[in-house]
Amino acid sequence: MKITKEIIERIEGEATLELQWHEGVIDFAKIKFFNFRGIEKILEKRVLYDAIAITPRVCGICSHSHALASVLAIESCFKNAGDVLHISQKAQDIREIILNAEKIQNHIKWYFFTIFSELQKLSNTPFEGNAFKDKAWFHAQKAIVESLKMGAIFSGQWPHGSFALPGGVTCDPVRSDFIMAQNTLEGIVAFCEEYLYGMPLEEFLSFSSALQVMSSVRRLSYGIETMIELGFDRIGRSHDRFLALGDSFLYEEPSKAVKTTVLSADSKHVHESLEHTFFSDTHKGYTYSKSAQYRKNYFEVGPLARMMIGKDVLIRDFHRRFKDATLTRVVARMSECAHLLLRTRELLSHCDITMPSFIPPKANPHDLCGEGIGIIEASRGSLIHKVNVLYGHIHSYDIITPTVWNLGNGDKENPSVAQKAIMGLDSIEKADFVFKSFDVCSVCTTQ
Amino acid sequence: MPPKKSTIVWLQGLTCNGNSHSFFNYPQMPSFAASFDMLYHPLLGGEGSFETLLDGTSSFDFLILEGALSQDESILQKFNRPFSQVLNNLSSRAKTIVCAGSCASFGGIFRLRDPERISGALFRGKEAGGYWNIKHNVINLPGCPVHPRWLVDTLLLLHQGEKVFLDTYLRPKEIYGYLVHHGCLRNEYFEWKVDSKQLGQKEGCLFYEHGCQGPMSHANCNKILWNEVSSKTRAGSPCLGCTEFDFPRRALYETQTNMSLPQTPVGISKRAYYSLAGVAKSFKIERLERKLIDENN
Repeated sequence: MKITKEIIERIEGEATLELQWHEGVIDFAKIKFFNFRGIEKILEKRVLYDAIAITPRVCGICSHSHALASVLAIESCFKNAGDVLHISQKAQDIREIILNAEKIQNHIKWYFFTIFSELQKLSNTPFEGNAFKDKAWFHAQKAIVESLKMGAIFSGQWPHGSFALPGGVTCDPVRSDFIMAQNTLEGIVAFCEEYLYGMPLEEFLSFSSALQVMSSVRRLSYGIETMIELGFDRIGRSHDRFLALGDSFLYEEPSKAVKTTVLSADSKHVHESLEHTFFSDTHKGYTYSKSAQYRKNYFEVGPLARMMIGKDVLIRDFHRRFKDATLTRVVARMSECAHLLLRTRELLSHCDITMPSFIPPKANPHDLCGEGIGIIEASRGSLIHKVNVLYGHIHSYDIITPTVWNLGNGDKENPSVAQKAIMGLDSIEKADFVFKSFDVCSVCTTQ
Repeated sequence: MPPKKSTIVWLQGLTCNGNSHSFFNYPQMPSFAASFDMLYHPLLGGEGSFETLLDGTSSFDFLILEGALSQDESILQKFNRPFSQVLNNLSSRAKTIVCAGSCASFGGIFRLRDPERISGALFRGKEAGGYWNIKHNVINLPGCPVHPRWLVDTLLLLHQGEKVFLDTYLRPKEIYGYLVHHGCLRNEYFEWKVDSKQLGQKEGCLFYEHGCQGPMSHANCNKILWNEVSSKTRAGSPCLGCTEFDFPRRALYETQTNMSLPQTPVGISKRAYYSLAGVAKSFKIERLERKLIDENN
């Protein structure tokens, strides 16, 4: 059997795909991530609140998701100890605005820095990338700057802000801060309307058919057409099972979906596995990435999962035509970006600043003992932080990142989400792009 | 003929990518691109593959290092090669090495996993001697993450042939000569020793109860601001001291006290600080006890 090792470049961090070939087709793929940093261990024995400052450093592109997951985990510790914290609606809104800013920049960055560039490369081999050259790349970078500026009005900075604590948020904005955030957001909306969707947001979000999206002439429709030309409407399909364990405006409650059937889900059924990792066997292990399962099954997390669980009409139409192919996955992420922009516009216009930003816990955090879990729907999917605390100090800390759900390793009989999507492909180039359609982040995977 | 561009190669060690993403926040990117060619960046690629880059022998102007470093192959490797092989190749071809962020400068958070084997380029925390013992072309730009302007301003100064003056930790003085405290909106509360009784409010200083490291941390965060609009302290969150060699300290949200007295600001003697603090605290300044914006009064 032929085995090839492919280095995957131009992702968050680095990964290697070890591909096993049979008669010109990928029979199995091992996904390898190296360069483990050990944040869970670093947190042990530290004061509980240190997790809020340190866990954002798991990942430079989703640091505020980690900050929030950490805060939610500690708030759940307080709750389990009998101190149910009241988080004002204002603080909840500000947390969501900050989180949305991070997701909007992520989606724009992924499409314009990675996907668009990869598609051009696939359809035109001499293409050497668009970074620091292409006019649209600079416009996208400007939109990224603006998105994070909008969030930083409330978070102080991005990345690695520490804007929330158990009980609320630390900022105390005035109305002019909201005015500035609104104006900044409109700049991002204008960019997306002109360069991504080619139409007003509301029009895009009113669509119920894939054909309507493809009638535009902008980057998204270019991407869709190119993906169809290259066959990505038929490949990259995985288990067609989806999971979203955190809260989102896109659906009513944390749920799972098998194809189009949506059922409620509970994080107690999550199982984390060390199989195939260096942690379980230093010799036979081949990656630092753990893997996660729900009731012993691999589920895809991320924008496609959220849109399927939210029964989004447009993405359901893509799914009806193309199933969970690479094309559907890409469009779901960019469609979620439109929803996030509109949702953030609503939050900014309705936030009541007369409410308190922060209501401190009654219990002393130094006396806390017990467990807590915090779940956030981050850019790439469900992010879980679990903490076990002993008299205000971290006894153990466990992080399950979205990429662990999508990019962990199963085996040939029960492959993980990305493995399943890659198996059966007939070229390295296709495998590389299908892999990247999951918005790969190796730093989260090997935290 | 357009002026010659400087060339950059960006290399990552043990990192969260935060410095790369902070760099992507640079607001005047077209101006940056007019002066620099990014020969390779891990998130963006380059004109050739990483392998092609390593096979080359030509020199370039700047090697930007992001992340903590290690000679130990079991801790750090780059695309199936020992990291040291990659770094030795690239560092020998670079005119200047710029450490972007606290990890590359001092070891940062990830050094805590194995302080003996993980370090910054020339420092292990405070101690001199890191990945290299001596190297004369290194500039440290600590911060978790580096501010995009710290990086781009420094690169542009060097590109223009200017000299960059460095402190003992090899940090540019024009950036790290300031303290985070400078420009903090809560300065008046610090002067009169009015504590922020509760987080989530505009009023009060975060130094006395909430662990703010602003008066001890070298950086111009509150002069140039983050993302052009704010900073940790402006958003009501204590400075974590992320530009210093000892980041992250323990109990980051708590003020460490000695006989119930906090640490004194940089370069101010205990006698001077506590005398003045005692006097300031003996006055009750009514205005500073009230809300900054009171709609009813």
